Amino acid sequence: MTPIMQIRDLSVGYASRRAVGLAVTSVNLDVEKGEILGVVGESGCGKTTLAVALLGLIESPGVIQSGSVQLRLADDKLVDLVGLAPRPLRQIRWKEIAYIPQGSMSALNPVLRVRQQMTDTLVQHGLSKAEAIERARWALNLVSLDAAVLDKYPHELSGGMNQRVAIATAVTMQPAILVADEPTTALDVVTQRSILQELVKIRDQFGTTIIVISHDMGVMAQVVDRMAVMYAGRIAELGLVLNIFDAPLHPYTQKLIGSIPKDTGQHLEGLEGEAPSLWAYPPGCRFHPRCSLATAICREQTPELREIISGQYAACHHCD
Amino acid sequence: MENILAVNLLQQVFGTRNPTYALDNVSFNMPATPSILNLVGESGSGKSTIARIILGLLHPTKGSVFYKDTDIFTKEPRWQKQFRREVQVVFQNPYSVYNPVYRVDRVLMKPIQKFKLASGKAVANEMILASLKAVDMRPEDVLGKYPHQLSGGQRQRLMLARLHLISAQLIIADEAISMIDAAGRVSFLNILLDFRDRLGISTLYITHDLSTAKYLGGEIIVLYKGRIVERGETKSVTGSPLHPYSQLLVQCVPVPNPKQRWKEPLTDSGELSVYRTPKRDRCLFAERCPKVMDICWNSRPPLQKPAASGPDARGEVACHLYQPHGN
Ligand SMILES: Nc1ncnc2c1ncn2[C@@H]1O[C@H](COP(=O)(O)OP(=O)(O)OP(=O)(O)O)[C@@H](O)[C@H]1O
Ligand SMILES: Nc1ncnc2c1ncn2[C@@H]1O[C@H](COP(=O)(O)OP(=O)(O)O)[C@@H](O)[C@H]1O
Ligand code: SF4
Ligand code: SF4
Ligand SMILES: [Mg+2]
Ligand SMILES: [Mg+2]
Repeated sequence: MTPIMQIRDLSVGYASRRAVGLAVTSVNLDVEKGEILGVVGESGCGKTTLAVALLGLIESPGVIQSGSVQLRLADDKLVDLVGLAPRPLRQIRWKEIAYIPQGSMSALNPVLRVRQQMTDTLVQHGLSKAEAIERARWALNLVSLDAAVLDKYPHELSGGMNQRVAIATAVTMQPAILVADEPTTALDVVTQRSILQELVKIRDQFGTTIIVISHDMGVMAQVVDRMAVMYAGRIAELGLVLNIFDAPLHPYTQKLIGSIPKDTGQHLEGLEGEAPSLWAYPPGCRFHPRCSLATAICREQTPELREIISGQYAACHHCD
Repeated sequence: MENILAVNLLQQVFGTRNPTYALDNVSFNMPATPSILNLVGESGSGKSTIARIILGLLHPTKGSVFYKDTDIFTKEPRWQKQFRREVQVVFQNPYSVYNPVYRVDRVLMKPIQKFKLASGKAVANEMILASLKAVDMRPEDVLGKYPHQLSGGQRQRLMLARLHLISAQLIIADEAISMIDAAGRVSFLNILLDFRDRLGISTLYITHDLSTAKYLGGEIIVLYKGRIVERGETKSVTGSPLHPYSQLLVQCVPVPNPKQRWKEPLTDSGELSVYRTPKRDRCLFAERCPKVMDICWNSRPPLQKPAASGPDARGEVACHLYQPHGN
């Protein structure tokens, strides 16, 4: 299969007065057309930075240090979103690739009715007011919302409904790729389940490729086809979610899966120590200070992400 | 003192023309013996309102809260000062506690000054080191750093170090770990368990995540639209929930196993209704309930032991399905 998006050697940093700290480091990733790809990792590991880079939206103090994000358009043409000028980027956004930002449900403008929030972007894309409202209705219906919400203000809707509005806004132009950053964080489990169901429905109905970012392993297990586990700005492991849960290769993934609570009264260890900040990554494997398998080579050389078993990749010196 | 905390018939109504009943006759206790009480419910169910009232930040429309047998809205300044120190909160968003321009050391130094906990700089430093140790943090990882240099998990753990430092007795943890990864969550929960067992600190653990409540064990209260719909031992409520809403909650926990995916699509769509009925003398779950009966629309089910339960059963449920006959 030809991937719809190819990310090569992507490094994204944040500039301080003296240095640049790399929030995303040398990420290589192929996104397959029509798949639901999960990106999981703890707070601060670089998930949102990666997502924003995939949209070509990195802004100061953020900087792309290296790499490319090749997007395959419907006519098979490739376009690199890194360094794309604002105008062509605007044409691609929403139509080819759309974004549901982290916390979007609380980011809706409180003084604008849903109608205006949803149609503004469409009108900017050259649709007439009437067409825009038609598409907005269509999109709301797609996420199981009554068109009556068009006349509501965000505070009149529940958190789950606002999140649906955010999803509907992102899919109004039927993008080929949808990037959803923590789409269900802060929602209760019932709402979470129905929101995830909507995302799966969108993929099944339109073949939309969906990248779901979450720190919740339960969300990964329930909805994604493949998942990428991030640690301190790098991809630690990549593979089919079934295989990774069955037999995680990377020691960090093993810990993550091992610290999921299952029963009352069962004691779990968690993971000693903390992930390093982007201003103080350790040399070699960034996980080595917390890894029980670390040896001399781990402290010196960066392990590359490589295919260990067919289709399952890990960045570790000791996981053959 | 029988209870460290007693919450009696709390009612909180916001607004007058279109009143929102954030809390509607909520009562519960936490015993004097150190314990963890889980409070679960969807967003908007009133969890944070309970937290704010217990902390004395909000005067309830009706009802009372007693901390160690004293009404928390008493005006006695000495008591108030002690209360403010002993009852502490950890919110979801710890950023508000951290001022971005100061090093995080200040978060620990300030309470020492405010409550005059140490006689000199050396003693203060000693106390800080001990508190960091109590939450498994290495001083070199946090001291001298700015808030943005710490991970979310580190910031929340540092909050716990602060509570240790000021000898808090009751922690209100409101969605404290919804932003941290699985490994970080477990560490945080282990500290709460350790605080309870080793230091006698109780926690009211507020969450919408049943799996972490399950991990902590103890007792659980399930809140729905400002009313308690079920309570009992966490193990039995999460294992065999009685109330149809608790059952829905349990079904929707994303099982972290790709081989046990949700099968049938969820048909519940109650949260999507734009229209609301103001009638309150009824079960508020009626429009979503697969087992709804006529009586559910016309009478509020009281919270009581299910009719079929034995004399030792501790669980209570507010649902007409479980009312004794003739009620
Ligand atoms: N504008 C910024 N300036 C400086 N540093 C930043 C900025 N935005 C993010 N960072 C840093 O970059 C790193 C990665 O942040 P990012 O938001 O991508 O993480 P994340 O994985 O999405 O975390 P979360 O789960 O909390 O959303 C973090 O260390 C963060 O502090
Ligand atoms: N200051 C306020 N003014 C008006 N309504 C409020 C206020 N605080 C909370 N509410 C309402 O009370 C209900 C309960 O809210 P909250 O306690 O924050 O729930 P939770 O913490 O369970 O998400 C919600 O309907 C919310 O909109
Ligand atoms: S490379 Fe070494 S330190 Fe890194 S995860 Fe593998 S064994 Fe552990
Ligand atoms: S009282 Fe009636 S509507 Fe309410 S939960 Fe029980 S059966 Fe359902
Ligand atoms: Mg993020
Ligand atoms: Mg809340």
